[in-house]
Amino acid sequence: MSTLVQKIHLAPEQRSLLLRLVVLLLIGAGLALVSSAFLGAHNLLNLLRQASLVFLLASGLTLVILCGGLDLSIGANVAMSACLAATVMKATGSPLAGCAAGLASGLLVGAVNGLLVTRVRVPPFIATYGTLWILHGLTYWFMAGDTIHGFPPAFRFLGSGYGLGVPVPVFLMIGVLALGTLFLQYTTMGQEIYATGSNTEAAALSGVPGLNRRLLVYMLSGGMAGLASLVFLARLNSAEGDMGEALTLQAVGAVLIGGTSLFGGTGTLAGTLVGALVLTVVLNGMNLLAISANWQPLITGVIVIVSVAADALSRRRSGD
Amino acid sequence: MSLVAQAPLLSLKGITKRFTGVLALDQVSIDLHGGEVHMLMGENGAGKSTLMKVLCGAYKPDEGHFESRGQRVQVHSTADAQRLGVAVIFQEYSLVPHLSIAHNIFLGREPRRRVPGLIDHGRMHREARAVLDRLGLDIDTRRVVDGLGVAQQQMIEIAKALSQNARILVLDEPTAALSERETERLFEVIADLKREGVAMAYISHRMAEVFSLGDRVTVLRDGKLVATMPAGEATADELVTLMVGRKVDMSYHRGERPACGPCVLELRGASSTGGIRDVSLKVHAGEIVGLAGLVGSGRTEVARAIFGADALTAGEVLVNGERLKGRPTDSRSKGLGLIPESRKQQGLALARTVGDNLLISGLRKLFASGLYRPRKALAHASSMIATMRIATRGPRQLSRNLSGGNQQKIVIGKWLLAGTRIYLFDEPTRGIDVGAKEEIFRLIDRLVNEGCAVLMISSELGEVVRVCDRAYVMKEKRVAGEVPRADLSESNLLRLAMHHE
Amino acid sequence: MSAPLARRGLPQLPGVAWLLLALLLGLSAVAPGFASAANALNVAQQATLLLLLALPMTLIIMTEGLDLSMGASLSLCTVVLAVTSLGSGSLALGIATALLAGVLIGLLNGALIAWLELPPFVATLGTLGVAQGLALVLAEGRTTSGVGDGLATLWNGAVAGLPVPLLFAAVAWAVFHVLLHHTRFGVAVIALGGNREALKLAGMNERGSLIAVYALGGLFVGLAALLLGARLGGGHPTAAIGMEFDAIAAVAVGGTLFERGKGSLGGTVLGVLAVGVMRNGLNLLSMPSSLQVAAVGAVVIAALVLDALRGQH
Repeated sequence: MSTLVQKIHLAPEQRSLLLRLVVLLLIGAGLALVSSAFLGAHNLLNLLRQASLVFLLASGLTLVILCGGLDLSIGANVAMSACLAATVMKATGSPLAGCAAGLASGLLVGAVNGLLVTRVRVPPFIATYGTLWILHGLTYWFMAGDTIHGFPPAFRFLGSGYGLGVPVPVFLMIGVLALGTLFLQYTTMGQEIYATGSNTEAAALSGVPGLNRRLLVYMLSGGMAGLASLVFLARLNSAEGDMGEALTLQAVGAVLIGGTSLFGGTGTLAGTLVGALVLTVVLNGMNLLAISANWQPLITGVIVIVSVAADALSRRRSGD
Repeated sequence: MSLVAQAPLLSLKGITKRFTGVLALDQVSIDLHGGEVHMLMGENGAGKSTLMKVLCGAYKPDEGHFESRGQRVQVHSTADAQRLGVAVIFQEYSLVPHLSIAHNIFLGREPRRRVPGLIDHGRMHREARAVLDRLGLDIDTRRVVDGLGVAQQQMIEIAKALSQNARILVLDEPTAALSERETERLFEVIADLKREGVAMAYISHRMAEVFSLGDRVTVLRDGKLVATMPAGEATADELVTLMVGRKVDMSYHRGERPACGPCVLELRGASSTGGIRDVSLKVHAGEIVGLAGLVGSGRTEVARAIFGADALTAGEVLVNGERLKGRPTDSRSKGLGLIPESRKQQGLALARTVGDNLLISGLRKLFASGLYRPRKALAHASSMIATMRIATRGPRQLSRNLSGGNQQKIVIGKWLLAGTRIYLFDEPTRGIDVGAKEEIFRLIDRLVNEGCAVLMISSELGEVVRVCDRAYVMKEKRVAGEVPRADLSESNLLRLAMHHE
Repeated sequence: MSAPLARRGLPQLPGVAWLLLALLLGLSAVAPGFASAANALNVAQQATLLLLLALPMTLIIMTEGLDLSMGASLSLCTVVLAVTSLGSGSLALGIATALLAGVLIGLLNGALIAWLELPPFVATLGTLGVAQGLALVLAEGRTTSGVGDGLATLWNGAVAGLPVPLLFAAVAWAVFHVLLHHTRFGVAVIALGGNREALKLAGMNERGSLIAVYALGGLFVGLAALLLGARLGGGHPTAAIGMEFDAIAAVAVGGTLFERGKGSLGGTVLGVLAVGVMRNGLNLLSMPSSLQVAAVGAVVIAALVLDALRGQH
C-alpha cells in the first residue's frame, strides 16, 4: 500500500492524509456491508453532526499540541462553559448573552492554562490536569445536581438545525477548518507555532516569541471548547454537571489518529478532521452493531495507543 | 621507574575511528604501563576525548585492537572495559543529584548483606569514607550530591573511579574545576597509585601538570599520533609546536581588507548566568573578530549573552550604541543573528523543510503584515538556496536529509534572509568536510565585505588565524587577552588560552 | 528563576506538615464531629486506600513518569474480584485474579513506556481507557455484590486494637521504605529520574527497572482493590474514578518533585493525610463532593506555585 502511495509524488503530510482517508473509507465500506442502516441519510447526518462536535473541540487541541503543549482540560471546559451559558440564557432569555458567556468562559480557562504553562512554568499535563478537576468540581457544585433545559429555538438551531439539508454544526466544522487552516498556513503566527512545536530551543534561538505563541494556542483551545460547548448544549437542549465527560478522550483520539505528533511541529487540522470522522464512524458502527457502550472507552483507548505507537515506530524508522 | 622493561598493562594498536565525514582517529597506538602517568596532549578536536572513549569502551573503533599484557582482548562495551580494570573519571555528568555521595560512588555496585540481599549501608558509608579520606575530602558521605560545588562533584567522580580499584585509570582534565589544595591532594593520590602499579592516561592542557606528573607524553594532532616521548625529554615550546604545526593545504586566504567601519557591537563588563565574568569586547562593521580559547573557557556563553539566550547579571550589550533588552526576539530585530554550536539541536528544526527553516527568522521582516504567502516564501527560499549554493532538491525537502555542510548553510541563510548585520558564529565549520568549509569562509568574507560584522568562535586555531582580522582569547570564563592582526598566530593564541607555568 | 520566599525564616518542616497542621486545627474548630475518635478511624480507613495508590505513585513520579490509569485499574480489579469469587465460589481465587489483573495493567503500562517509549501520560491515558472499558464490560449483567464476610474484616476488623487498614498502611509504608532506601531497585528509581545516563554507565538495567516500577504500582492497585472491595461488599466498574488524581495530589503536596528524582515517602504519607483530612472535613461541612474535588485541585496548583516561588523547581 505504502509503495503505491509513494509513487504518486506527494508531500509527506499529504501522503499521510491520503492514507487516513483510505482507512476511513475502508471502515465505512466495511460497515456499509455489515449494517444496512449505516448508509441511511439519518445515520450519516447524525454521524456528521457528532463528528463536527468532536472536531470543534479537537481543533483547538490540535493547535496546542502543534505548539508542543497539551490540554487535558477541554472536556471539563465544555461542561463548565455549557452550564454557564445555560444559566445565563435562562436568566436573561437571550441566546446572545448565553453564547457570549459560554465563549468567554472557555477563553478564560484557556488563558489560565496558558499562563500556568508559560509564566509559572507548570508542566502542561499537570497544569491542565489540575484545571480539569477544578472545573469539574466547580461545574458540579454550580449545577447542584440540577438540570437546565429548554432553550430558545434560535439557540437550538446551532446544534439541531439544518441548512440546505446539512446539519448546522457541519458548517461550523467547515468554517473552523477553513479559518484554522488559513491561520496555520497563511500567517506568520502559524509558522511560528509550527516552529516552536518542532524544536522549541531552535525557534527561540531564531528569535521566535515562543512563550507568546504558547499562550495564544492555549487561549484558542479554550475558546474552541467554549464554541463546542454551545453546539453541544444546543443539540442536547439541556445542561447538567457531568455532560461531555467522554469528549476529552475522543478529542485526543481524533488529534492522534489524524496524524498530529505529540512531540509537536507536525500535523494539520484536516488530519484532525479525518481523525474525528474515523473515531465517530467506529463508535457509530459499534452502536449500529449493538455492541454495548461499555466497550467504547476500551476501543478508544486501544485506538489511541495504536496510533501513538505507530507514530513512534515510524519516527524511529526514519531515524530521529 | 624504568619505562622500557615491562610489558604495558594495556595497549591500543592502530585505532581508527570515523564519524560521518570526519576521521577522528587515524591509526593511533598507545601503550599504558603500570605505575606510569601517560599524558595526552593536543588541541581541541585532535582526538583525545575520542581516544579516551574508545579506551573505556564507550566507542567501538572501526579498525585496530586492544592488547592486555600482550594478549588480544575484546572491548565492545563499558562493561568489558570495566572487567579489564579500566575506570574513567568523567566531567561530573555521571552523578545522580538526589542520591548520597556514598550511593553515587557505589552506583550499581552497592555492597549487600548476604541475607536478604539488602544494601549494607554501614559498609557502603565506611568504604566511601575511606576513599574520601584518601582524597582529603571532609564531606559527610550521607550528603546528597545536588547542591555540592563543581569542584566537590569532580572529587566525587574521582572517588568513584578510585573505589573501583582499577588497574588502568583514565583522567580527562580532572583538575579543571579544582582548587590548588584539592589539586595537590589529587597529585598525592596519583603518586600513591603510581607506587601501586596503576597505569594512568591523563589528558591535560596545563604544562605545569605535564612536567610535574607525566612520565610519558603523547601528542595528537588531527586524529593522528604525532609523537610519543618521555616527559623528561620534552620542552614546552616543542610540545606546543607539535600540537599546532600542520601542512597548509587550503586555498582560501583572507584577502586585502577594506578599512573597517564603526563599532557596531560592544560588550561592557558583561557577566551572565552562563558563567562569564566581566567580559568586554568590540566588533566593528566589516571585520571578522575571532573568539578563541579552550573548551569550557566560556566562548559559547559570550555569544549566548550577546544574543540574549543567557541573562546578563552585570554589564551591558550595545548594538550601534543602543542597549539590548536581552531577549532573542529583540536581538533579532536589532540585526543580530546567532549560528549555534549544535546546528541539529539548536539551529534547525530537522523535521521541517529547508524552506521553513530558511524563512523562520525573517518572517517579521519579509511578511510585515502578518500574512504569510507560501509562494513568496518559496521564492525567497529558492533564491537563498541558489545564493548559498545549498545542495538540496528544493525548498520542500526535509532538512534532516541534508549533509552537515548544507544544514549549516541553511542556518546562515536564515539570518541572511532576516537582514542580519551582526553575525555570531559558534564553531561554524565543526563536522563539515573540507570543501564545504572553504565555501563557508568565502561566505563570511562576502558578508563582511558588504559591511556586516562577524564574531567567530572556533576551536581550530588555524582557522582563526586564516580567517580573522583579530581575536580575543577566553580563559576560564574571562577574557585572557586581545591579539591584533600582526600577532595573530596559533602559538600565541594557544599560549594565552592555556595555563602556562 | 528567582525564589522570593526562599529566605523567609520558616523552620525546616516540609510545607505539607504545615498544611496538615493548619487543616487539623481549622477543621477541629469549624467542622462538627471532626475531632472525634470515630471520625479519626474513618479518616484512617479512607487514607489507607489512597496511600496504597500514592506510595507507588511516588516512585513513578520520581522516575519522571505518571500513572493516570490507577483509578480505572482499581475499579477493574474490584470487578474482577467480585466476578471471580462469586462466579467460582472461591474468595481466594478472586483475590488472586484481582491482584493479577492489577499487575497485568501495570506491566502493560511499563511495556508501553519502557519499550515503545511512549510518553507516560499518553500510555497511561490509553490504559485508563482499556481498564475502564474492561471494567464496564466485565460488570455488565453479572453479579458484583455480596462478596462475603471473609473480606469485610479487611475494612472493619481490628487486630490487637488496631484497625486492619492501618496495619495494611503501616506494612505498605514499611515495604516501600525498604524498597526505596535499602535495595538496588530503589537506587535505580532515583537514578531513573535524576540521571538516566548514570544508570546506563553503571551497567544497571534501565528498562527492567522502569517496567518494575509500573508493575509494582499495578500490584498495589490490586491490593487496594481488596480493601475497596471489602468496603463496598463487592465490585463496581466506576468505584474509583479519579482516584489517581487524589494520589497525584497527595504526592505533589507531599513534596515529591516531578523532575530529577527527588521524592519523599514520608511526605506522601503526610500528603495523603492532608488530602484525606481535607475531604473528610469538607464532607462534615456538607460541601458537595464535586467542590471538594475542585478544592483538592486548587491545593495542588497552589502547592506547585508555592514550590516555584520557594525555588524548588
